[in-house]
Amino acid sequence: MIFDRLRQSFALNPLTVKQWRRFRSIKRGYYSAVALGLMIVLSCGAELLVNGRALVVSYEGDLYFPTYGDIIPGRTFGLDYEYETNYRDLDAKFEEQGSDNWVLMPPVRYGPLENNLTPGYFPPYPPSFETGHYLGTDQTGRDVLARLVYGFRIAFAFASLLLLCNYLLGIAVGSAMGFWGGVFDLVFQRLIEIWNMVPALYVIMIVASIVIPNFWTLAAVMVALGWMGMTWNMRTSTYKEKTREYVLAARALGASNTRQIGSHVIPNTISVIVSFIPFSIATGIFLLTALDYLGFGLPPPTPSWGELLSQGQNHIVTAPWIILSVAIAISIVLVMVNYIGEAVREAFDPRQFAYYK
Amino acid sequence: MDHAAKTIAASLAGAVLIAGCGSETNIYLELGVPVEPYALPETAIELPPLEAQQGDGLPDTLPEDLIWVTNEDDPTFASPDAKRGGTFRTFISGFPLTLRRVGPDSNGSFAGFLRPNQFGPIALHPDTRRAIPALATHWAFGADGRSIYYRLNPKAHWSDGVPVTADDFVYAVQFMRSKEIVAPWYNNYYTDRIRDVKRYDDHTYGVQGANPMPGAEMHASYGIGPQPRHFHVLNDDWVANTNWQIEPNTGPYQITKVRKGKYIEMTRKADWWGDDLKYFKHRFNPDKIRVRVIRDPNVAFQYFLKGNLDTIGLVLPQYWHDKATGKAFDRGYIAKYWFYNEQPEASGMYLNMADPILSNELVRFGIAHSMNFDRVISTVLRGDYERLSTFQIGFGDYDNLDIAPREFDLEKADRYFDAAGFDTRGGDGIRIRDDGERLSFQVTYGSPLHTDRLVVLQEEARKAGLELELDLKDGPGSFKKMLEKKHQIAWMGWAAGGLAPGYWQFFHSANANRPQTNNLTNHTNPVMDDLIMEYRASTSLEDRIRLARILEQMVHDSGVVVPTFRVPYTRAGAWRWVKLPEWVAPRTVASVFSPFADTGGFSGGGLFWIDVEEKERTLEAKSDNHSFGPTTIVDTTFRTQPAG
Repeated sequence: MIFDRLRQSFALNPLTVKQWRRFRSIKRGYYSAVALGLMIVLSCGAELLVNGRALVVSYEGDLYFPTYGDIIPGRTFGLDYEYETNYRDLDAKFEEQGSDNWVLMPPVRYGPLENNLTPGYFPPYPPSFETGHYLGTDQTGRDVLARLVYGFRIAFAFASLLLLCNYLLGIAVGSAMGFWGGVFDLVFQRLIEIWNMVPALYVIMIVASIVIPNFWTLAAVMVALGWMGMTWNMRTSTYKEKTREYVLAARALGASNTRQIGSHVIPNTISVIVSFIPFSIATGIFLLTALDYLGFGLPPPTPSWGELLSQGQNHIVTAPWIILSVAIAISIVLVMVNYIGEAVREAFDPRQFAYYK
Repeated sequence: MDHAAKTIAASLAGAVLIAGCGSETNIYLELGVPVEPYALPETAIELPPLEAQQGDGLPDTLPEDLIWVTNEDDPTFASPDAKRGGTFRTFISGFPLTLRRVGPDSNGSFAGFLRPNQFGPIALHPDTRRAIPALATHWAFGADGRSIYYRLNPKAHWSDGVPVTADDFVYAVQFMRSKEIVAPWYNNYYTDRIRDVKRYDDHTYGVQGANPMPGAEMHASYGIGPQPRHFHVLNDDWVANTNWQIEPNTGPYQITKVRKGKYIEMTRKADWWGDDLKYFKHRFNPDKIRVRVIRDPNVAFQYFLKGNLDTIGLVLPQYWHDKATGKAFDRGYIAKYWFYNEQPEASGMYLNMADPILSNELVRFGIAHSMNFDRVISTVLRGDYERLSTFQIGFGDYDNLDIAPREFDLEKADRYFDAAGFDTRGGDGIRIRDDGERLSFQVTYGSPLHTDRLVVLQEEARKAGLELELDLKDGPGSFKKMLEKKHQIAWMGWAAGGLAPGYWQFFHSANANRPQTNNLTNHTNPVMDDLIMEYRASTSLEDRIRLARILEQMVHDSGVVVPTFRVPYTRAGAWRWVKLPEWVAPRTVASVFSPFADTGGFSGGGLFWIDVEEKERTLEAKSDNHSFGPTTIVDTTFRTQPAG
């Protein structure tokens, strides 16, 4: 399994093995990690589970796999239109005809962008097993479950990208500040303090007034304004570590600055970095959710939790399933991430191992 | 008198021809009441006398050949059952920053309470759309086609008892042109549009405007209101000094109590001069109007449900269908009114012809046929809204009801897009041209409330192989982008108004391909340019109506506008004790529960009354849990059904 492989890759360091064991022993953190990991893996293959496109269509002896790739126009399956086949209708049609043709649909038969509307019947539609909208629809007839799943995937990808960029920048600058100190440190401290004062929301609003914001522009703005958080922690840790004997020994042996930082300081501050990761992911998810809620996030009709949240707020009495779905989803992810964060922090806490007999 | 002016007078059909040429002195003597002298304040600053520009100017003496008309023949629209009394309680979302009618900060929502209480020389009948007497009893049109003469009602007086005279109208122009009032828009309007004003005697004056126009429209554009000359002291401190002063007015209500930050109370004048006039009888019935500050509309709705506000607007589907339900509605304590009115409307998708692909009319027609508005209406709009058939509608006779909007029809869309060269579909189902150009456009819009409608259209348009990219900006941001003509498709609605549709600002080539003009489509067509200029210059109502209908058809034929939705009604909820005439309201009202004269540019407000006994009965029934049965009134008398 993944975890075994992870363990192998860390196997060189007995401390890491200890930390991993300790993490596993904290049950709720460990199970949360497993569950969240599973959710992430599943959401990567969301098209196979939650989709308006069929998994397999057997038509006139040929097999079609519409899930990925180009659209298959209705004409291919003997329908009278050029646009993308409605596979739910196709399924119903084949069934009605009683032919050998068949359609295999995913467990949830709606995509996140499809408006499944019935004229004269006003959305949002309540949850129903009959229609296959297990969590109901939003105010334009889109499946809430589908939007939750795809929204989670986008938010998680956004948070991961943010994490990666913020940490790369933050760790590099923070370690440099702590390692060199002096004027370099002083100058960067002031620069960061000033940069910190730039209001992110206004920048986003200005960017949104010039271009239609997309995943990459939003991430770029958030990284540009959010990398500073990590620098303070790294700066302090580096200050502490660089005076330790092993760093002095490395320097005495003639190790270069990069080597001292890269091979000695950073590996020894890893516990700081790792214990921040779950919380950074949570922050990233909620940052995007908040932006979408305010209407400055990804452009419609991108599936997003924030957009569902604001819809749910408007329909809190008339369509409680929207707000309930998204609120429960957010709570679950928040709780899981916190459990993981707690467990990681505890597992990496050196005090666990520093006792005297 | 030239032919054109005679046609105008005649076109005000039904207006009584009071007297022929040269007999105006007699009428004046019949009406005349000597003006009581009053003193001007000592501190009054003499304003510069008006100077007419080259080519402008009214004659020094009243022309002999004027045909004085009035209008006492149109039907009345107020209910004789109306009872005076009670307090009407309503709300605004923020306390006004000033009680002035002009100058800095005076354009807030409280202006809607101040300005309708400042009457002009005439008002517009809310059903026939013709002029009816207000401060003036008679009027006449000058031979130049751009001047009007008014005869004032000698009984008309300001709220402080000072009579309204012709001097107040001359003063109004001086006042509005002065820099002291710090109102550049008015400065400009009273210089650029109002060219001259002249007093002939205490009760007679004339106004000259910039362009000739048909009669009713001239009233609307040049029929300026008076300013109380005896009240204002125009100096550098005017803005500050008058900020919280209660200015004399000519309407039925005047402010009597101000609690800063909390509420403003207005009281009905006991001896209002207008009470005897035919069209003002049985109107403006509540004794008091209390305007409370409630910042949040949801909170205001709760106030209403508790009976602390008498009426509330229910235009939004969410309010009408979801919020306005429950015990108070089921038992008839609160009645719901759905009134179809005739208000100008112009909402659409404006396709920018400066875009290389949208400049092809085949593409524009294809887009129009790819928009499934019916699906939007029958689902997310709850069947309430209607499809707008053409660029603008709601101007009465000017409307071209023969135009049918281009319907959602994938076959037609196919043919148009194929003919435009977009005849193959890419892997994502979107059409592409031979040169690799995708059939994809940005739709710029400014309200998140419209996202629902657009995502449905977006999904449906994909069936035609057309991609719409939604570009949601904040309101001002989106309009800025449109005015800079940087959009591809602008999704918006104009706050259309006035008596006649406008074309010059929207479609004339003088406004095309220039930033900051309302020609959002960058539409140019020399034939249409000529017709627009003919339309603007014409003073004959028949001609203008004929031209407007042709122009509307040309807009449709060009396909630059895909008309979207119209909301051909107003909706409100009111407690049982707020009574309306059987016929609810005249056709042009913007709101059926407006306490004041003017609503939507016509004098159709102030018809309801508060039934104090009914209020007691209702409150008693409420405490006894007695039900009257639900009351929902849907009035479709003035519902227009355009083609298609």
